[in-house]
Formats: sequence, structure tokens, C-alpha cells
Amino acid sequence: MTRAIHYTRQAMGYLLKSFILIIFVFPFVWMISTSLQTFRETLSYPPTWIPAIPQFINYVDAMRAGPFLTYFKNSVIITISIIVIQLIVMIPAAYAFAKYRFKGKGILFGLVLLAFMIPGQVTFIPVYLMMADWGIQRTLLPQIIPFMSNAFGIFLLRQYFMQIPEEIVEAARLDNASEFKIMSKIMIPMSMPALATIGLFSFVSHWNDYFWPLVMTDTAAVRPLTIGISMLRETEGISNWHIIMAGNVVLVIPILLVYLFCSKQIVKAFVYSGIK
Amino acid sequence: MKKLSMLLIFTILIGILAACSSNSGGAANETGATQKPSSTEGSSSSDGKKTTVHFWHSMGGANGERIDEMIKRFNESHADIEVIGTFQGGYDDTVTKLQQAIASKSGPDVSMIERAYVQMFAESEVLEDLKPYLQQAGISEDEFSEGLMGHSYFNDELLSLPLNRSTPILHVNKAILDENNLQIPTTWAELEQVANALVVKENGETTRYGVSMPYDTWYPLAMITQAGGTFFNEDGSSIGFYDNGVGLKVFEQLKKLQSTGALFYPPTTDSGSIVNSMFKEGKVAMLYQSTGSIGGLLSAVDFDYVTAFLPKDEIYANPTGGANVSMLNGSSNKEAAWEFIRWMMVEPDGALPFVLDSGYLPFTKTMIESEAVQELWKKEPIRKTAYDQLQYAVDTNKHVAWPSVMHEFFSAIEAIMYDSKDIQSTLDTFKKDAERILSKS
Repeated sequence: MTRAIHYTRQAMGYLLKSFILIIFVFPFVWMISTSLQTFRETLSYPPTWIPAIPQFINYVDAMRAGPFLTYFKNSVIITISIIVIQLIVMIPAAYAFAKYRFKGKGILFGLVLLAFMIPGQVTFIPVYLMMADWGIQRTLLPQIIPFMSNAFGIFLLRQYFMQIPEEIVEAARLDNASEFKIMSKIMIPMSMPALATIGLFSFVSHWNDYFWPLVMTDTAAVRPLTIGISMLRETEGISNWHIIMAGNVVLVIPILLVYLFCSKQIVKAFVYSGIK
Repeated sequence: MKKLSMLLIFTILIGILAACSSNSGGAANETGATQKPSSTEGSSSSDGKKTTVHFWHSMGGANGERIDEMIKRFNESHADIEVIGTFQGGYDDTVTKLQQAIASKSGPDVSMIERAYVQMFAESEVLEDLKPYLQQAGISEDEFSEGLMGHSYFNDELLSLPLNRSTPILHVNKAILDENNLQIPTTWAELEQVANALVVKENGETTRYGVSMPYDTWYPLAMITQAGGTFFNEDGSSIGFYDNGVGLKVFEQLKKLQSTGALFYPPTTDSGSIVNSMFKEGKVAMLYQSTGSIGGLLSAVDFDYVTAFLPKDEIYANPTGGANVSMLNGSSNKEAAWEFIRWMMVEPDGALPFVLDSGYLPFTKTMIESEAVQELWKKEPIRKTAYDQLQYAVDTNKHVAWPSVMHEFFSAIEAIMYDSKDIQSTLDTFKKDAERILSKS
């Protein structure tokens, strides 16, 4: 009897999971399918699901439609710079907030949380004017500088660091370990899952960012991939969806790759905090 | 771990270096030219350097490539001027970017501006009067097609010239009409009759509609003028289709068509793509749609495809769309900027090839008389219909507050077309909202 219940439960579980999976995978499948269709196939109604002859040339056409190598390079430089700088700022900050006692700690941490709560829409015009004032609009810096610190990351990492027992840090200090060493040898290795999670979130949000680069850039030389792909759209008339989708596939692939490498760590991060 | 931290530091250094260096060495923009620092700094041709002209536009996709080709032609034929064209998103995005750039004094020299937004920039006095330039170049103002000049003159100044202009037109699947021995409708009454005759219903489901149109203000606007109304009244204090009953008439007509399946009114998102697909598949026989779709549809359909004037009610009338080109008065390279505009307007290898390839309307008399246009029209007569229809072009939505009123008009269209709200009371609300907005501006 219990066995029957067990199996039904399991079956229900699989059913539910496959259902959710289909919902999430469907847009990707449609995107890939469209990226391999001909112009006529993209216009058919009801929609074409499987292209008669896969048109890999669409990818070449999409890449030829603009300086895509530059866009790709910009996206990579911007995203990697942001993540690296964020980690460098975030780890010592979170360490200090988690393990140090100092005057004004509460207020300073409150400021971090405040930064976390202010939406970008409130600040983008002043930030734009500031960047214009500095005369750096035609560099990649306006897309990097505003994101050098990650308030959400500091908050999350602090919580994680606080779970690391004080005794371990004390023991290291007794052995004359420098603060840098404590961070690099104890804090970082012990919070890899949290770092991977923050890194991935940061990666996805900056890799996919459209609004900020659109506001901050006005030349193709400093624009990222997202804007390059939006350029494939026709302003009036009929858009070439097969080309646009080919561009989108190229945009999404790095995210999937990074996720593939980070997924284990991310699951760990959530499971770990779940047990506590 | 030491290695890791070294790697981190190394990567960040590389990142910062690369970020800085793209200032001077960024090798890529659409025209393939080397980036110059800033348009506002300016540089004269006397010191042997090229004058840089920044040109912002809204053309993506295939038309974006055509614009790039045009810029390339200009740069190749002008040793002392370098035009850098940059795509700034759709029409609305470009307007936002312009507002922001003008405020921070980093605007371009020349920009494409969607025609209905020109007035907004005109009233902020940031556009250059082109009259003296035309005079100096010996170009008559009559050279431009009159129907396309509705958003060019403000306070007796000529602030924009047409570039990529379109009109709505009736796209017809003539094969289906022929099968049913029907003529292309020329009046609302004929349209109603023909569209109803084309409806096919199977098992209570409509499998073919008579006519369709994208979800846009353009088409109701066209019908308002066809029925003898105007969008705004003469002094711009209210709407011009309420008291005379024209608004009620237009929407009653649309609802009547919709109720029998004669009209398919598409969902809001990507409505243009949806109706184009349905037209291509023969699921709608006639389509109110921009002339900008002619090229795409021609390459996609298998049937006998023709275009016709929008059916008239009292009169033939159609609004215009697309964008104009303007020079910003903050430009420090006005002479070079003007040369670019002049070249686009009058030279045979200026904007003309762009117009021919894209399907936008030719906009000067010389263009229309040119062999290239005449030949194209002979080969593809459906393109000529669009031009011929220009004689009835009229824009009655000229007002600085149009963008805000337009949003309210969209709400009214949604209430009537999707939620089947009472037409008169919806128009009551719309009129009040519009008057409130208009009184503020």
C-alpha cells in the first residue's frame, strides 16, 4: 500500500516536473527552430515547428548585419570587468560587515541596503549627466563604473560569512594569518556556492542588460550584443525573425554555458542555506 | 589560491585597459570608419582632418543596412567629411535619446526624427532652420512633395525634410477577390460588402476574414479624415471628430465589420507581424497596412498581390508616417551637416537608392521623374499606388501634445475594439482626457 502511494507520488512528481520543464524549454525550442527557418516559414500561420531545410546561413547573415565581433567583445569585457570588480569590492566588504566590530557599522550597512533598494530608474538620468560631464560616454566605462559594487551581493555574502564559525577565524588569527590570508584561504573557499550564485546572477543581468547600455551609449563601437540584436529588428515593415532569432541564440549560448559550469555550486548554495 | 588572486588582478587590469582603449581605437561602427572623439569638439577641414558629422537614425534590419550603404556612398564621395551613422533604437527610443543628449550637450549633428515628434523639438528650439541653406544651394522648397511636408514648417521656419516616409494603403489578395468575382472596394460601403462576402466560416470558426489592420492609431485616424473629421480641431484645443459625430461613425463601422467576421482586429502585441502573416497565408483577403510592408510582402506571397487607395467615405484621405531628417542647431559642423542633408535630398546616389530598395516614398519631384523610379513603377505598379495616394495625404494630428493624446487614443481604441465598451461613452472620456492634456500644453 505504502509502495503504491510512493510510486504515485513519484509519478506525480515527474509529471509536474516535465510540465514545468516544457513551459520553460518551449520558448528556447521555438527560438532555435525559428533561427533555422526561411523568411517564408517564419511568416506562416499556423507557425512552422520544424524547418523543411535548416538554414544555418541565418547565423552568418545575423553576424554580417553589423560589427557583431565588436558587440560580442564589448559584452565580454563589460560583464567580466563588472564581475571581477564586484568580487574584489564585495568580499572584503562582506567580511568586514560579518566579522568585524567597528563604529558606525550599523549605519554603513544600512547604506548598503539603501543602495540595494533604490531602483535604477531613479538614478539613470543623474548618472548619465555625470558620465557626460566626465566626457567618457564613448568608452565602455559608463557601463562598468555604476556597477562596481553590488549591494545585493554584499548583503548575501555577509549572511553567508556570518554562518562560518568564529572559532575558525580565531584559530587562523592565532596562527598569525593575515586578514588577506583569512579571506583567501578560509572565507572564499568556504563560501564558493554563494560566490558562484552571486557571480552568475550578476553575469546574467549584465550580459542581458538592454536598458542601461541603450541609455549610456551613442556609438556602435561601445555597444554590447543586446543592442546589436535589437538592431536586427525592422522599424517599419516586416522583420526578419529568422535572423533576429539566430542573433538571440548567439546571445543566450554564453549564459547556458556559464550556467552549466556553475549549476552544481548554485544548487549547493540553496541547499546549504536551506538546511540551516 | 595565490594563482587565483593573481589571475583576478590580471583580468581586471586587462578589462580596465580594454575599456579605456576603446575610446581611441574602437574600430567598429556601421560605416566602418575610425571613431572620432566627439561631435561637439569639432574640427575643420582646413587642417587636413576630416569634419565629422554624427547622424542618428532609427533604421534597423534590412533598412538599417541600406542606410549604412548610403552613408558609405557619401563618405566615399566626400574626402573632407566623415559621416558616422548610429542606430538609436526605434522611433520612440531615438526621440528619448535625443532629449537626453541635447540636455547633456552631446547630441548629433543630424538626426532622423519621426514626423509627429518634430513639433516637440521645434518648440524647444533645438532644430536649425533649413530655409537659408536651401536658398543658398538653389533648391526650391516646391521641390518636395507637398503631402509629405505636413510636419516641416513651424513658425515660418523649415525645420525638417522628408526622408523615410510612408502612408497606410490597402493591400489586396486579388486572387481571392477574383475567385469570388469581386471588385477592389473603393468606398466604405463597398468594403463592407466585399469583406463580408469573403468571410469563410467552418464549424462556427472563422477561417478567413475579409479585412484586417494592425493595432494602431493610424487606421482609425485615416478613417476619421475620410469621414470628414479631423483629429484635432482647428485651434488645437480639443478633438475634431466628436461634436460632428465622425468618431462614433468610424468606430460603429469598425465594430459592425468586426461583429460579422468581416474585420479581424488583431491582439496588441506584434499586431503588424500577425496580420502580415495572415495576409500571406490568405486568412485575410485585404489589409490596411503601411507602404513599408510592400517589399517584404512582395517577396513572401505567392498570389496576385495588388495595392489600392484606402476606401473613401466622404473623401479619400490618408495620414502619412515615417520619419523626417533635421539638423540640430547645437551642431558645430553645420556646413558639413548641411552637405550631408543636401546630398541625400538631391543627388541621384543620395537617398534615392535607399528609397528604391526600401519601398519608402520618393519625396522630391526630381526623384519621381528619375528613370530609376519610373522604371520601378513600371515593373512593380503596386508601389506607384502608394505615391499616387499622396495627393490625398493629410495630417490632422499635428500638435505638440500628440504623443500624450495618442496614448489616450490607444486606450479608447482598446476599450472599443477589445472590450466592446460603449462607443459614445468611451469617446466622451477620451474627449475629456484629450482636452485636459491639450489645455496644459
